[in-house]
Amino acid sequence: MQATKPTVGIFGLTGCAGDQLVILNCEDELLSLVDVVDIRDFLMAASGGDEFSTLDIAFVEGAVMTRRDEEKLQRIRRRAKALVAIGTCALQGGVPAMADGLDWPSAVRDVYGPEGDGFDALPARALHECVEVDFSLPGCPIEKHEFLGAVADLLNGNPPQLPTYAVCTECKMRECDCLLVDQGRFCHGPLTRAGCRARCPSYAVPCVGCRGPVPDPNLGSAMDVYTSKGWSPEEVVQRLRTFGPLPTPVPAGEAA
Amino acid sequence: MTRTIRVEHLARVEGHGGITVTLDGERVESVHFDVIEGARLLERLVRSRRYDEIAPIVSRICAICSAAHSLTSLQATEAALGIEVSPTTRLLRDLMLRGENIESHALHIFLLAAPDYLDYPSAIAMAGRHRDAVALGLRLKRLGNMIQEVLGGRAIHPVNAVVGGFGHPPSTEELVALEDALESGVSDALTATEFVASLPTADFCDTETTFAALETPERYGYADGKHITVRRSGTAQRIPIADYRSLTNERVVPHSHAKHSLYDEQPFMVGALARLAVNGGGLTEAARSVMRTLELQLPSRNPMDNNKAQTVELILDIELALGIVRRLLSTDLHDTAPAPIVPRAGTGTAVTEAPRGLLVHSYTYDADGRIARADVITPTAMNAASLEHHFQDAVTRGAALDDAALRKRLEMIARAYDPCISCSVHLIRRRFEGRRP
Ligand code: SF4
Ligand code: SF4
Ligand code: SF4
Repeated sequence: MQATKPTVGIFGLTGCAGDQLVILNCEDELLSLVDVVDIRDFLMAASGGDEFSTLDIAFVEGAVMTRRDEEKLQRIRRRAKALVAIGTCALQGGVPAMADGLDWPSAVRDVYGPEGDGFDALPARALHECVEVDFSLPGCPIEKHEFLGAVADLLNGNPPQLPTYAVCTECKMRECDCLLVDQGRFCHGPLTRAGCRARCPSYAVPCVGCRGPVPDPNLGSAMDVYTSKGWSPEEVVQRLRTFGPLPTPVPAGEAA
Repeated sequence: MTRTIRVEHLARVEGHGGITVTLDGERVESVHFDVIEGARLLERLVRSRRYDEIAPIVSRICAICSAAHSLTSLQATEAALGIEVSPTTRLLRDLMLRGENIESHALHIFLLAAPDYLDYPSAIAMAGRHRDAVALGLRLKRLGNMIQEVLGGRAIHPVNAVVGGFGHPPSTEELVALEDALESGVSDALTATEFVASLPTADFCDTETTFAALETPERYGYADGKHITVRRSGTAQRIPIADYRSLTNERVVPHSHAKHSLYDEQPFMVGALARLAVNGGGLTEAARSVMRTLELQLPSRNPMDNNKAQTVELILDIELALGIVRRLLSTDLHDTAPAPIVPRAGTGTAVTEAPRGLLVHSYTYDADGRIARADVITPTAMNAASLEHHFQDAVTRGAALDDAALRKRLEMIARAYDPCISCSVHLIRRRFEGRRP
């Protein structure tokens, strides 16, 4: 083992493992990736990870939904020089965070019956609500090219760069017909961070906002467009909450 | 003297789970497959959401099975709303499920299960001396992902399959590229067979097993069956899919407060090995010859054979996918565009074969086309009781072994089931308070 390779850990809290699977889906790059980094801990792909060594980079997927998740995240934070949240669950709670103000214990009981009362089950929290997060890669799941780009950036000591414009911009560059303006369908494009090359609209399917909001979302003007197309404000809010809290502007100076 | 064998956190599986077994001398006192995932409650959270929002939300139950979750969801919605899809749409969906199965099996066989047989902690470590095998696994995995990308628009959480059809059918160029890739995939799958045949034998259980799979005998299908078949000791019972609850009749078991799926008081196994037991008549000649090379005897009494059954499905799916792609190349794909939807109240149930086995989605919609009730039962939840049954058998047979050897056997059995723990939304488990070690 070369001691000089940067050490990396890849972790999952409560999620669907999709972001870790994107990493395993880098079929063409995986073997060369492990030539340049030392993957110390990747439970989904390897047994016997070591739990204590320092990590140059820790990638963490999923939301904090158990006390165990929270303790695990704190242990990862203590080991990691750079902690990178990967995927919308880690960034903002993701799909399990869609319900605003739902009484979680009674919802757990609803699904699991009275046995649910003793579960270690908490409402979803984003990583930054529990520990300090250094960088974030959005997406549900993350995009391969953004992950590989982020690894290269971090190894070179640069912060990963993300687009700061909306899916609509990519959509227009691809010259897709507008599903919202032309057809009145509910498309999250105006409020959602680009980076997926407007994947859904390019299939004539509205964006559901899986990458989370642009840094400076204009909720007011988007609301006007949606209501002018006949969507009720309640429906707009419910739909915009699919992947977590309503889009709010990110405070200036916060990472990516 | 009692002893406890624990696998705190099972590696090389999807999601978070553990194993706890207690023995009193050589007698097995208890076996637990513990799920330590948080409860994401997606079937609760979709309530009041409209029909077009459901599949993108529930696909997030699990990434590795996201195409199956998405398509099962669409079918349940279509059944509830009385929507008929075109035969071409069904063909494209069939192809998508085969792509997912190829990807999932290649991932499981080469990256998750094989390192156990060859004594490596991971495929990455295994690549040192077995680089060709790992590269082969990655190639097959990429083939499955390529199919899913072409059909679904993304390998994980597909976007292109919608209620009533597809946003955009694949282009001729994409289909030609798939045809080429599948043609090379056939020889890769045969090389994969040689690799699997070369692995050391893993024979820790020998017990009668009940199998359940969607009945589609004529073409080894993963969707559109009308019955589930349950097979045990040469007998077969058929359950109409709308009566799925009689199969997945979940009950609380005293040692764990958990829900277990039992049929006729027996645990049952779902997945590739179960599909072979139920639909083996639909195999191609090449798949039959792979079965002979792997010396896979049916019905199997050894859950480790699931790894071999997945290898059989690899070649089968690649061949059948190739046939579908060739058909699609001479088909007009325009009837895959979804027709306008008229909401109505109703209930719909769909059952498919996800890579890990039977998957059920059942929804009730209100008159506005919003979800009133959603029920999702996943293969890993169904398999939990059977997995414990096989743990019990393996520990009973291996009681004289030391802890490390037993632990390894338990882990290998768990992995052979290829559990998808994020999927086991119905299976959160608390240890019996009095037994907490
Ligand atoms: S962000 Fe999406 S892909 Fe990632 S864990 Fe959450 S649900 Fe899965
Ligand atoms: S289709 Fe959606 S993403 Fe594209 S321009 Fe219209 S609103 Fe924006
Ligand atoms: S278009 Fe929207 S929903 Fe689709 S991948 Fe991009 S961000 Fe996600």
